Amino acid sequence: MTTADNRVKTGIPEFDEMLSGGFLERDAVMVAGTAGSGKTTLGLQYLVNGATKYGDAGIYLTFEQMPEQLYRDAKSFGWDLRALEEQDHLRVVCTSPELILASGEGEGEGEGGENLLDSVIKEIHPRRIVIDSMSHFAMYVDNEKDLRRETYRLIMYLKTKGLSSLLLFEAPQLMGAVGSVTETGTSFLVDCILIMKPVEIESSMRKVLAILKLRGSDHDKNLREYKITSSGIVLGSPFSDYEGLMSGSPRKLTRMAMAAERFSQPFAGKRKKD
Amino acid sequence: MSSENEFLLQRLISSEIKTDLLTLFHRNPGLVDTITGIALRIGRSDAEVAGDVKDFLDLGLLTKKTLGKTKMEVIQLNRSRDREIQASIERYVTGLKK
Repeated sequence: MTTADNRVKTGIPEFDEMLSGGFLERDAVMVAGTAGSGKTTLGLQYLVNGATKYGDAGIYLTFEQMPEQLYRDAKSFGWDLRALEEQDHLRVVCTSPELILASGEGEGEGEGGENLLDSVIKEIHPRRIVIDSMSHFAMYVDNEKDLRRETYRLIMYLKTKGLSSLLLFEAPQLMGAVGSVTETGTSFLVDCILIMKPVEIESSMRKVLAILKLRGSDHDKNLREYKITSSGIVLGSPFSDYEGLMSGSPRKLTRMAMAAERFSQPFAGKRKKD
Repeated sequence: MSSENEFLLQRLISSEIKTDLLTLFHRNPGLVDTITGIALRIGRSDAEVAGDVKDFLDLGLLTKKTLGKTKMEVIQLNRSRDREIQASIERYVTGLKK
């Protein structure tokens, strides 16, 4: 079940607020982040909240971790994935990217076999899917042109089946300055891009979440701090007193600079009108 | 009925590879892979696992499907048949205890 305006809620209130209510139905969302940034946690939370709060069944498609490891890790957040599977609210599917690619080839041409996800979709009628990870998927494709075609094919398959997807992507370059979110130019294929990025502030590591793109909807442009707690990801307030967070060299704004920025805001609006 | 269940139990655990396969699929019920991939995941070769996988396919515990145009064959657990088999074994073991 989604909300009246076809929003698919993450179930994390502050995050849904940032998204003006949630992701748009059937959107493909790229979640780009470094190792340990909480992509898998966010993916699991999206599915668990979908099943328990909104009655949406979901699929977690993993190329990396074996399901038993995911069951264990999820338990530490209080999420019983096995119980959700028994209730047909969830399926954890573990396979190789090679087989997803083989599924896509010839699909719909009448002479091929089925897609690997077809039977799971028929079994539980999911509304959500998480793919962990597209970086692993990319390793099995020879060149950038083929990768764009195969990513497009996969995204269109998911949309056709009515699935709202989170595509997890490990982006090591996020440690420093943000350049291209993906090295392969697939970012234009997705409807939304989220960045999960660690930043060093006053000699401690903190985490920043930003929405880089949300096609067809307004969204919060602020950088928000988030924490991975025992109950999952919790969003904090915007980083209002720092600048340069995404470049990897954050600087604390002085009181004078903040006052100047506040003072200039009404005039910036006026300049636009002029 | 109990002799049928006894035969079923013997068939399920008649080799070390079968017990490894059962453990793999019970811990990871959503695993979908080729024979080669499954063999790798339990540290064996294709040839070693092929016979036992075939027996589980005949039993209906595992199912096979072909993917896309490549017709690549993959194996996965048949969850409903697995539940049936587990219930039969449970009834058999409970009967033994009495």
